[in-house]
Amino acid sequence: MSAAVDMRVRIGALELRNPVMTASGTFGSGREYADFIDLSRLGAVVTKGVSLEPWAGNDSPRIAETPSGMLNSIGLQNPGAEAFCAGDLAWLATQDVPVIVNLVGHSVEEYRSVAERLDTEPDIAAFELNISCPNVDAGGMAFGTSCPAAAEVVRAVRAATSKTLIVKLSPNVTDIAEIARAVEAEGADAVSLINTLLGMVIDTRTFKPALARGVGGLSGPAVRPVAVRMVWQVAHAVGVPVIGMGGVMCTNDAAEFMLAGATGVAVGTANFVDPAATVSIADGLERFCVDRGLGSVGDLVGAAWPERSA
Amino acid sequence: MTEAGHHPEVERAGLVANERVAEGVGLAVFDAPRTASAIRPGQFVHLRIAEGAEFILRRPFSVYRAPAGRLEILYQVVGRGTRALAQATPGAVMDLIGPLGHGWLVPEGTAHALVVAGGLGAAPMGMLVEELARRGVATTLAQGAPSEGRLLARELFEATCRRTEVATDDGSAGLCGFVTELTDGLIAADRPDIVYVCGPEPMQRIVAAQAAAAGVPCQVSLERLMACGVGACLSCVVSTVSGRKRACVDGPVFDAAEVVWDPCEDPEAGA
Ligand SMILES: Cc1cc2nc3c(=O)[nH]c(=O)nc-3n(C[C@H](O)[C@H](O)[C@H](O)COP(=O)(O)OP(=O)(O)OC[C@H]3O[C@@H](n4cnc5c(N)ncnc54)[C@H](O)[C@@H]3O)c2cc1C
Ligand SMILES: Cc1cc2nc3c(=O)[nH]c(=O)nc-3n(C[C@H](O)[C@H](O)[C@H](O)COP(=O)(O)O)c2cc1C
Ligand code: FES
Repeated sequence: MSAAVDMRVRIGALELRNPVMTASGTFGSGREYADFIDLSRLGAVVTKGVSLEPWAGNDSPRIAETPSGMLNSIGLQNPGAEAFCAGDLAWLATQDVPVIVNLVGHSVEEYRSVAERLDTEPDIAAFELNISCPNVDAGGMAFGTSCPAAAEVVRAVRAATSKTLIVKLSPNVTDIAEIARAVEAEGADAVSLINTLLGMVIDTRTFKPALARGVGGLSGPAVRPVAVRMVWQVAHAVGVPVIGMGGVMCTNDAAEFMLAGATGVAVGTANFVDPAATVSIADGLERFCVDRGLGSVGDLVGAAWPERSA
Repeated sequence: MTEAGHHPEVERAGLVANERVAEGVGLAVFDAPRTASAIRPGQFVHLRIAEGAEFILRRPFSVYRAPAGRLEILYQVVGRGTRALAQATPGAVMDLIGPLGHGWLVPEGTAHALVVAGGLGAAPMGMLVEELARRGVATTLAQGAPSEGRLLARELFEATCRRTEVATDDGSAGLCGFVTELTDGLIAADRPDIVYVCGPEPMQRIVAAQAAAAGVPCQVSLERLMACGVGACLSCVVSTVSGRKRACVDGPVFDAAEVVWDPCEDPEAGA
């Protein structure tokens, strides 16, 4: 590759070597993908949701394939904070990649305590506060769909940690920009979006929903235009960095999110198709910049905004 | 990592043959030397049959046989992916991830095994009966299918097993009835050292109960919907006595005594 492109981006106090990270819940702890890629080539690994106590998740079936996407209702199955630290985190700490831990809870108190418990772990670079999971009954998305509830949980977690705090937003709202402004006002260092869109599939042979839980979250290329629109709106509404995701399958998709205003991008469902998708996209973004004579990947951020091209 | 220590990789596999072997069932043969040399009985591959809007996810398939750098997949046409596979012609290239999962274990000292295959449950048994024959294990096969024409892998089973018994729903071959009517007697009379089962889950559950009642160890191969196939997404969980495990890495083969079959008995259900 010719003239080096500066691929670094900054999210809160974190400097990432490139803008590409993994989307929570689609990459395990990273260990599962270490057979396929060199994790040190990623901007960051974002772990699956971690709660204070173990969660069993939802009953099976938990997924359904849909046109250009999939529904999932995993329900944040995880072994709890202690087992996470002893297992996945201890392993990740041996890898040369920043670790962002996705936090979940059923109540403000649970969110606060898991943040407090993990705040002491030096191997965690940042938290992603998941207030947008559509697959749990209590907590999850309930906190991400109203401004006062979102503000309350961010305030509690902000007080419990000095680590970089990213808040992950739900697309299942009327005005995502207003939620983004509410969490920024409470001290979020960045926002990430979108989590999955609430959806449903009914099996016409059995006359029953395809998922045991009935509803699930839609991800994959099907959601990309919705996600790009929301990133555009949120990036206009807040001053903190935006991490964009939703159907990023290739380099162009990642560039599209950055042009809409995202500083970083996360890759989820694409990992299931191609276990090396993240690294291919990171390499591809660099080439994308070289081909266009850009000195820094940051030059892409918001470059599609009309006010920028003036 | 698999029990044999081989890491899964993505391999570009060329289709070299693809033939109908029974009503609605095909045998696809891929040239995939890396996976073929590494794969162990009962493991599977995650196949990207086609691209485009209809195919976001890969499809998991057991490997029936893996002779000379090739992978043989015995598949039933059930939906759009397997339909596309049936239409693929030699020369097509598909990528696959493999070898995946935890396959059949043959304990040291096994002298006599009972292999139970219902319908497409014959697919993961091909490499197993070959391995058992290689190790000199006396193998009895009990096989069930809707009709004689749907009894798969007959030649291989006849060539490798000391004894084969069949049951068909319509009585066109062997016993008219379910394979579980054969296995009860076979377990009691022959007292195998181990029972291996694959087929519809209700059938696996019955055979597992028969083996448990006779005090014979039993392994089952379970199917779940899978997104990643490598242990990352938790799509494919199986309820076990020690919590929910992933069929793609902790299975698909499980010790039957560990499986919690009835969702109502899963202490974690509805959590
Ligand atoms: C470990 C494992 C080994 C398997 N081995 C074989 C084999 O050797 N031969 C064979 O014919 N079949 C096998 N299956 C089942 C096979 O994966 C499905 O029949 C196939 O995925 C159906 O795809 P489709 O597009 O034709 O069906 P569709 O119903 O159109 O598929 C829609 C989605 O559901 C999934 N799906 C549908 N049925 C199943 C199922 N029974 N199990 C898992 N996923 C399913 C598909 O992968 C896809 O994501 C195996 C499954 C597993 C988990
Ligand atoms: C199987 C699966 C599990 C997920 N688990 C989580 C999770 O634990 N926490 C979370 O914040 N988002 C979770 N998500 C949402 C993704 O991180 C991402 O926001 C969404 O899938 C959109 O990106 P994609 O289209 O690239 O997959 C999950 C998505 C999938 C498909
Ligand atoms: S299919 Fe993803 S964990 Fe098993």
